[in-house]
Amino acid sequence: MSRHISFLTVLLLASAFTNAQTTGGQSDDVKALLQRIDQLEQRVAELEAGKNNSTAHLPDGKAQDAQTPTAQAVEERLSTQMHDEHMQNAKDVEGHFPSMQLRGFGDVDFSATDEKGTTSGFTLGQFVLHIASPLSKKVAYFGELSFTAQPTSYTADVERSIIRYSYNDHFKLSFGRYHTPINYWNTAFHHGLWLQTTISRPEMIRFGGRFLPVHFLGMLTEGNIPSGSLGLGYEIGLGNGRAGTISRAGDNGDVNSNRAWVGRIFARPTAVRDLQIGGAFYRDKITPIPALTGTPSFGEWISSAQIAWTHETPELISEFANVHHRNNLTGTIYNSQAYYIQLAYRLPWEARKWKPYYRFEYTHVPASEPLFSAPAFEVTDLVGSTAGVRFDITDFAAFKWEYRHTKHRPTDPPVNGVFVQTAFTF
Amino acid sequence: MTRTATIWLRFAIAAMALAGVTLSFAQTAQDIAVIVHPKNTVDNLTMADLAKIFRGERQYWRSNLPVLVLLRTSGSHEREVVLRNVFHMSESEYKQYWVSKIMRAEATSPPTDLYSNGMAKEGVASIPGSIACISAADLRPGVKVVRINGHLPGEPGYPLH
Repeated sequence: MSRHISFLTVLLLASAFTNAQTTGGQSDDVKALLQRIDQLEQRVAELEAGKNNSTAHLPDGKAQDAQTPTAQAVEERLSTQMHDEHMQNAKDVEGHFPSMQLRGFGDVDFSATDEKGTTSGFTLGQFVLHIASPLSKKVAYFGELSFTAQPTSYTADVERSIIRYSYNDHFKLSFGRYHTPINYWNTAFHHGLWLQTTISRPEMIRFGGRFLPVHFLGMLTEGNIPSGSLGLGYEIGLGNGRAGTISRAGDNGDVNSNRAWVGRIFARPTAVRDLQIGGAFYRDKITPIPALTGTPSFGEWISSAQIAWTHETPELISEFANVHHRNNLTGTIYNSQAYYIQLAYRLPWEARKWKPYYRFEYTHVPASEPLFSAPAFEVTDLVGSTAGVRFDITDFAAFKWEYRHTKHRPTDPPVNGVFVQTAFTF
Repeated sequence: MTRTATIWLRFAIAAMALAGVTLSFAQTAQDIAVIVHPKNTVDNLTMADLAKIFRGERQYWRSNLPVLVLLRTSGSHEREVVLRNVFHMSESEYKQYWVSKIMRAEATSPPTDLYSNGMAKEGVASIPGSIACISAADLRPGVKVVRINGHLPGEPGYPLH
C-alpha cells in the first residue's frame, strides 16, 4: 500500500515538475517572439525613415520613365495604404457593437452534517451564465442566468438583467433586475461562487433568504462623486421592493403601489488599496402573501454598514444590518440585527495557492417579531462559525474545505458540518 | 598619504559619474511612456489617476470621450511594468480581477491586448480616447506623452520602469 502511495506521489511530483518546465518554456518563447516583433517594427521604422531620406535626395527636375511612378505618387499611395490599415486596426481595437461575451460559473459540492433528518452526499451547484454586451460606446447590457438542480428537474432563473446608459463617470442610469446594493457581498460576488473565498454566503444575505432583500427590480443611478483621493461613489435605486413572498423581488409587478428605494454611498480611498467602506439605506412597504392574522402590512427600513478590504494579505469583510419593521396595523416597531466578520489570509508559499479563512456570523430576531416569526416568512436567530481553507488549483478553479458550527434557537441543538466544494469559471 | 587619498577620491568620483550616466541612459531606455491621442487635453496624471484609469474605475476622459485602455500582451516588458506599478498584481490576479469586475457589471471587457508597441502606437494615434504604455525607446511622432506625477520618461523620479 505504502509503495503505491509513494509511486503516486512521485508521479504527481514528476508531472507537476514537467508542467512547470513546459509553462516556463512557453513563457520564454512568447517573450522572445514579442521582442522579435518589437525589433522588426523598429527595423521597419528605420527603413521607412531611410527611404524618405533617399527620396528627398532625388535630383529635382530629373525626367522619369512613364511607366515608373513618381516618388510622390509612391509616398501618397503608401500613406493612403497605411492610413487604411491604421483605420482598420483601430476599428478592430475599438470593438464592434453588439459584441456579446459569455462567461460561466459552476460548482460541485459535498456536504455531511449531524443535523437530524439530513443525509450526506454530493450536489451539483448552480450552473451560472453571465452575459456582458456593449451595445454602443455608452450603452451596455449585463445578464445573469442560473440553473439550479431540483429533485425532479432544473429551475432556470434570470438573476440579473440590466441595460445601462453611461453618460460619464458620475452618472450612469440603468433599468432591470439587480442584486440589491444594500450589502457588499450581494454586489461583489453575485452567483459566481468561485469569486468568493468561502463555500457559502453569509446567512444574512443567502440566496432564498428573507432577512435582506437579495433582488431588486426597477431603476438605478450610480457613479463616482468627485472627492479626490477619498474615491466616493453612490447608488440610488427605485423599484418594486419585496414581493408577497418576501424572499423574492416583484418580477411580474409590485404587490402594492408603494415603491421601494435604496441608497448606498461608499469610499474606495486611494491611500489603502482594495479597501471599500460604505453604508446603505433601504425603504419599502411589505404586503405579505399569504396575509398574516389581521392582514397587516409592514413599513420596512433597513440600514447597513460595510467594510471590505480584499487585499488577500489579509482579506477582511464585515457587514452589519438592522431591519426595522413597523406593523402598520398596530404601530408597533421591531428591530432585528445581523452581522458577520470574515478574515482570510493568502499564504505566501506554494505559489500563493492556499488561503485559510474564518467567519463568525450572528443574527438576532425578537421573539415578538410578527413577520420574521411567521412560518411562511421565518428568519431565526443564528450564532455560527465557519473555518476553512481555499486552494486555487489554477487561475480559474478552486477547491474549498469548510467546517461549520451553527446554533439557531436556544432550544435547538448545535449543528456541525463538513463541506467540500470545487468552484470554477469558464 | 594625502596625494594617494586625492587620487582615490578622483577615481571614485569619475567612476560614480560614469555609473550615473550609464544608469540614467539605461533608465531612459527601460522607462515606459504613457501615451494618449494628440488631441487629448490631459498633460499630467498622478499614479493614482493612472491606476483608476487602468483598473477601469475611471472610464471617461469627459462625457463624450470614453477611455479605451490598450495593453501589451502577456510576456512583454511593458505589461510587466504596468502590472507591477499600476495594478500591483500578478498576471493571475490581473485575469481574476477582470473576471470579477465584468461579473459585477462594472465593465464590459478587460483592456485590449496588443502584440506590439507599433500596434499600440497605431491604436493611440487613431482612437481619440485611447491610452497605452510603450517603451520610451519606441516613441515616435503622432502620439502625446503624458507626464506621470509631473515627470516625463528619463527624468529623475519617473515612476514607470
